[in-house]
Amino acid sequence: MRIIKQIGIFFTVCWLSQVVAAVLPLDFPSSVIGMIFLFVCLITGALRIEHVQEKADFLMENMAFFFVPAGVSVMNYFDVLKSSIVPFLVVCIVSTVITFAATAYSVTFVMKLMNRRKSNA
Amino acid sequence: MRELFQSPYFGVALSVVAFWIGVKLQRRFQTPICNPLIIAIVLIVGVLEIFHISYEDYNVGGEIINMFLAPATACLAVAIYTKMDILKRNWLPIFVGCVVGSATSMLSVYAMCLLFGLDESLTVSLIPKSVTTPIAVSISQGNGGAVPITVVAVIFTGILGSILSPFLIRLFRVKDPVAAGLAIGACSHAVGTSKAIEIGEVEGAMSGLAIGICGIVTVLISMFVL
Repeated sequence: MRIIKQIGIFFTVCWLSQVVAAVLPLDFPSSVIGMIFLFVCLITGALRIEHVQEKADFLMENMAFFFVPAGVSVMNYFDVLKSSIVPFLVVCIVSTVITFAATAYSVTFVMKLMNRRKSNA
Repeated sequence: MRELFQSPYFGVALSVVAFWIGVKLQRRFQTPICNPLIIAIVLIVGVLEIFHISYEDYNVGGEIINMFLAPATACLAVAIYTKMDILKRNWLPIFVGCVVGSATSMLSVYAMCLLFGLDESLTVSLIPKSVTTPIAVSISQGNGGAVPITVVAVIFTGILGSILSPFLIRLFRVKDPVAAGLAIGACSHAVGTSKAIEIGEVEGAMSGLAIGICGIVTVLISMFVL
């Protein structure tokens, strides 16, 4: 029953976030609303971590599995991929390296600023 | 005969078996190239092609698995919540790093797509490629992208990140574990995070935080720009 309750909590959160997404005038993905909604529930204490821990662990550990069907549908897009495989690879590789560098340097920069302010004070 | 493959049990069973083989292979060879998701996709596409089973038939079961994508995204909230103390202590560098990282990723992809003259649908499919799959998929879908292309780009980027990150840490001389972890999470989401956990505890926690925060930031940016 504990697992069923946790599944119930997750599905309720997801359904409520679909309701919110439908009401919102903006195009905001309901899965992300669900994530924010669940986070708020945990922060405010409306839900305790024990209420969702096991189901969350189950979902996180097996996260990749849930993308199998979405990935398989790539077979309907082989032509698109084949015709632009070189740009596809270049875009992925170059932007990964640039993103890594930009994030690392900006974090280091902010931390240096904070340390300088701390040592001046 | 055909209606047997249209049973939802067929798609679910095939997916589980293929993924299980993928997990076994990864445990055996211990390399990020043996990604269970990639292996499962290749095996299933192979089976469908060989036995002339249509994607639509397979997807009767696939739809049931898809149902778990939204709960899987929601549980990222639990991951952030359990790391609240690290988040509180380093909130400013984390916030700035995730905003800069997300913006850089989207902008660099967009610029390169323009350069290569890729069409709009493909561009939209690639723009969210640095964030975790469920969020990338909803951004791509909401803006007219091709979801499968996004899924492939996201997984490929994740694998790249987990292979390249130890090398990138040295190349860019990143000494701080907080900066290294956030950088891994920002560019290569959950797949990269598994590597970050191997590098160190702080790196792993930071990378995990970056998945959720970069996801939200990327959604916000795409809402105003796309």
